[in-house]
Amino acid sequence: MIPAAPTARDAFWRGVRELLPLTPGVAAWGLVTGVAMVKAGLTVPQALGLSLLAYAGSAQLASLPLIAATSPVWLVLLTCVIVNLRFLVYSAVTRPYLARASTSQRLWLGYLVGDVMFARFSALLQAEPGYPHKLAYYFGAASSNWLAWQVTSIIGILAADAIPLSWGLELAGTLALIALLVPLCTRLPALAGVVVAAAIAVLAHDWPLKLGMLAGVVAGITAAMVVDGATASRR
Amino acid sequence: MHPDAVYVWLVIAAITLATFLTRSSLHLVGTHWELPLRLEVALRYAPACALAAIVLPDLLYSQGQLHFGFDNLRLVAAAAAAALFLATRSALGTIVGGMAVFWILKATLT
Repeated sequence: MIPAAPTARDAFWRGVRELLPLTPGVAAWGLVTGVAMVKAGLTVPQALGLSLLAYAGSAQLASLPLIAATSPVWLVLLTCVIVNLRFLVYSAVTRPYLARASTSQRLWLGYLVGDVMFARFSALLQAEPGYPHKLAYYFGAASSNWLAWQVTSIIGILAADAIPLSWGLELAGTLALIALLVPLCTRLPALAGVVVAAAIAVLAHDWPLKLGMLAGVVAGITAAMVVDGATASRR
Repeated sequence: MHPDAVYVWLVIAAITLATFLTRSSLHLVGTHWELPLRLEVALRYAPACALAAIVLPDLLYSQGQLHFGFDNLRLVAAAAAAALFLATRSALGTIVGGMAVFWILKATLT
């Protein structure tokens, strides 16, 4: 007997369910980000506002050293755009499935994208390219992801003041960024880019307005593209 | 110890705007427009480069001074965390393990 075709509702709940095994990682990140924002000097309403409005862990964590140095707002904006460029890549992947989506659905789809849910969604696209309710699945996985993140982030924000500064817990925010960075460096061009970006950013650390960081990013992308071009032409 | 409130809210608006632009702009422009190939290659490497350019100076500098060596416990803990990630592929393990290394070193060395 052929099982009945899944409805959109089935697809939503399947997405919710299949994200659950990945939530411990999301939860750890959320908690760390919540604590780190308050430890960086944000008030509880500011940290809650940032978490709910932006919902972008790596951009939030990346902004904290810039906020601590009172860097100009435009530099924070530019930094976050660069850190978030991977979302642009993700949205390029989901775009073909949006032909019939309304504007508000598109906005929600954009707001709810996250690294973990997108990794899960990509796995579905590869395993079952013909799956009928991809958008419903996406919203299911994204909702699990959002809830796990916001709940733990809010716990972190509210608990942060009970945690002494001497524990050095803000390091956990940096470690969370490392857990995001390392898997991006598996191929040679990315590794070259990362090494160059880090070296330039460290050497140019004393430049005004944290512009050394920006110089590192530009040099790193250039190096990665050069290596990418060299390895691609040899294939 | 809190940074200026107006400044922080402006920064929050900037982070929200940056996130909106990168996550939703492509969804809103419609499906007829394609990214140029070279831009797509650059986009692929930009996030890793940005994270590296943020993380390394953050680990190596404290109070404006460069600290490179085994006495920089944050750096040692971060290196341990990166190795842990390669071994386990677990973000949770990386954060917990890296903090454990940091606290153990701090407790034994001070």
